[in-house]
Amino acid sequence: MTITIPPVVRLTDIGCTFGSVSAIKSVSLEIQRGEVVGLVGENGAGKSTIIKILAGIIPPSKGRIEINGIICSFRGPKDAFKAGIGVVHQEQSLFTNLTVAENIDQHRSGADWMSRIGLQRWSRVNRDATAALQKVGVKLDPKTYVRELSFIDRQMVEIARAVCIDPAVGGTPLVVLDEPTAILEPEETAVLEREIRNLKQFASVIFISHRLDEVLRICDRVIVMRSGEFILDKPSKDVTREELFSAMAGRHSQESQKGHARSPKADVAAIEVRELTRRGQYRNVSFAALPGQIVALVGSNGSGSDSVMRAMFGAEPHDGGEIKVDGRRVAGWSIPRAVKAGLAYVPAERKIEGMIGGFSAAHNVAMVHPGEAAIGPIRLPHLRRKVAQSWFNRLDVHPNNVVQPLVYFSGGNQQKVVLAKWLNSKHMKVFLLDHPLRGLDAGASETVNAQIRQACDSGAAVVLIPDTIEEALDLADKIIVLRDGEVSARYDMTIDSNLSVQDVLEKMV
Amino acid sequence: MNNSVKPDASAAVSPGSNSQSPVAGHFSHLAFWQAMGPFLVFAATVLTVSLVNPAFLGGTGIAIVTGAAASILLVALGQAMVLHIGSIDLSNAAIALLGAILMAMALPTFGIAGLIAVLVAVTFFGAVNGAIVAYCQVPSFALTLGMLGIFEAAALVTSGSETIYVTKNRELVTVLYHYRLAGVPLTFWMGVVVALLYWALLRFTSVGQGLTAIGKNEAGAIFAAVRTGWLKVLAFAISGFTAGLAGITIVAQAGSASASGLGSDLLLPGIAAALVGGTAISGGLTNPVSVIFGALTVAFVPIAVQAIGISAQAQSLVYGIFIIVVVVLTTTRSRDEIIK
Repeated sequence: MTITIPPVVRLTDIGCTFGSVSAIKSVSLEIQRGEVVGLVGENGAGKSTIIKILAGIIPPSKGRIEINGIICSFRGPKDAFKAGIGVVHQEQSLFTNLTVAENIDQHRSGADWMSRIGLQRWSRVNRDATAALQKVGVKLDPKTYVRELSFIDRQMVEIARAVCIDPAVGGTPLVVLDEPTAILEPEETAVLEREIRNLKQFASVIFISHRLDEVLRICDRVIVMRSGEFILDKPSKDVTREELFSAMAGRHSQESQKGHARSPKADVAAIEVRELTRRGQYRNVSFAALPGQIVALVGSNGSGSDSVMRAMFGAEPHDGGEIKVDGRRVAGWSIPRAVKAGLAYVPAERKIEGMIGGFSAAHNVAMVHPGEAAIGPIRLPHLRRKVAQSWFNRLDVHPNNVVQPLVYFSGGNQQKVVLAKWLNSKHMKVFLLDHPLRGLDAGASETVNAQIRQACDSGAAVVLIPDTIEEALDLADKIIVLRDGEVSARYDMTIDSNLSVQDVLEKMV
Repeated sequence: MNNSVKPDASAAVSPGSNSQSPVAGHFSHLAFWQAMGPFLVFAATVLTVSLVNPAFLGGTGIAIVTGAAASILLVALGQAMVLHIGSIDLSNAAIALLGAILMAMALPTFGIAGLIAVLVAVTFFGAVNGAIVAYCQVPSFALTLGMLGIFEAAALVTSGSETIYVTKNRELVTVLYHYRLAGVPLTFWMGVVVALLYWALLRFTSVGQGLTAIGKNEAGAIFAAVRTGWLKVLAFAISGFTAGLAGITIVAQAGSASASGLGSDLLLPGIAAALVGGTAISGGLTNPVSVIFGALTVAFVPIAVQAIGISAQAQSLVYGIFIIVVVVLTTTRSRDEIIK
């Protein structure tokens, strides 16, 4: 007698509408035991909505969800968890002030009467957490505080939390990884890839990423979403990167134009750091960026590259060495002074540092360099909207509504506004960008990269911390590799033009 | 206010942009309520009372309510500016009372110059608050709670625990209370003018934009080169200055000042008026014009409770419930926001 095992997940005709907008039209999906399914699509294609439906955060407007053969209707994330769906969300969602074990055990709070009245059996919490950590093959002390962990370790804890589900009804758990690699450095991504292969033995996985190569490498099957529909569903081995790209964007990939024909506009560095040192962060870092040049700072988390950049912008102090702007040494450096001197900085933490979400997009555009929207200290709202509108047209920002608070825009569109804020200055001298493409889809990434190149061509010196080494090789004229706070290699792309990812990676670790 | 969209502006946008997301629709609805809520609440309250007791608003009713609202309005405006940057000033009512006492002492000898000197002094008191908050990184709640005690003690000491009567030059200030324009005392008009000035400051200046940015996202403001330190000092200095103006209205109304007399209980009505006026306690959302209606509502409710004939014992109960309901109605919030 053969028993047919039901698929881990079967979605039938799922739709989801918000008001008059349908985020998901009508999708159906089956995921088998042990299958790794890649879900790709531009920002706003509906990937997050699918995930939220699976995670029990929002209910679908129509359709049926079956998990391990049982029809489910989730009233909240807890129900989804009980059914065996663990989600690692895009933004890290751990409580950094709690221990690893407490985080892993989070979903169980209130499961029995003791924890409902606030009592915990710590031995049980720690034992369960250890088991979960073992399951994903990570050696971590469950009693460490999450704030003490590195990014990759935190990601592992998130995964452990997602897989420690024991589906109440038995069956295979489903682990959803929503852009888990977006904030990871290349060598950490490798660790994660290994981890996902390990997960296959006892779970099914939905993997979301903007990096198509990665998706093709990791997943058994790839689904492309566009405008709330599945428009491609194929085994990874039968599909190419280009095919995915054109399915996602509805257009063809523009081969990255290598811009190494650029020549510096002057021989005095727009910005230079010399022997820059901050105890515990970085030591004796020296490099310079000429006007019209793109310098990439490459290094893994903890290499100190982000701290160096923040020091250059006056956002963090340094203990030794000097910063020179236009050949002149700066003293009493602060953000207002840096901005006055023509520096611009796009931080990696876009939502916290890069923008003011409660402000309208127009306010954000005109925040630092209001241009014609200002007469001295006076601000003119109608001209502010006009200035913002011209940037909206130039950068193709959606929705085309400059008075909407920026927090309601998608990540890619937010980043375009963040760029516009700095580009609205006619005198930008130095453009510092920390992970400018983080979490951006291919279309938005192209726009952002084009603007970076254009700023460079019009005479700004660009210092960039890229997401990937490929990005550095594509864009940069010079690459500075940092390891543990020290410069471990320097490449001039006009000379080392056949530099490979592997070469750079070796200097990073 | 400068962050919000006027209802007409968002209405003009909606038909043109077909790509509007549902959140945007929700948002323009919020913007409308943010702009109009406090006014509508006040209008509804007045309407209810005049239906129950039509005689009430005739004659001097308006003068009594606005006269009582003037000092609340000024304290609330200062509070709203501090709330706007996400801080709170628990000491501003005490500064108002100290200011009133100092003015009552200074008026006979120095006249107008005395008033100005006191205004400068209270502005400085506010700036000290701000400087400690900004540069010593003391939470404003804790600092101004302490300052509240200090200023109260200063008021007791300077007045010698007695009522200070303005023996000379009294008419210089009392005229503000007794002279009425459209049946409303000048003290209240002073509050209205200050509200309009603060509204313009927030909406049309870089300083106002910086203050709003701090309230909405301080880290974002720092990275946008906003000079957060001195803007915090400024917000608290504004609170001190406005409290000084509230001090003038106290002296104008009473012709005297004392540590336990008129104006000694302005702190909580001041905060209530700012909140009823739609100010978010988390910062970044302040419309000084709406605070006018907040102050009117807060001043009006105790009077209205009497006018409708609710027994004296139940008055605070009704007042308390009313304030909670109104704040529920007028506080601007979106569904995904976390309110602490």
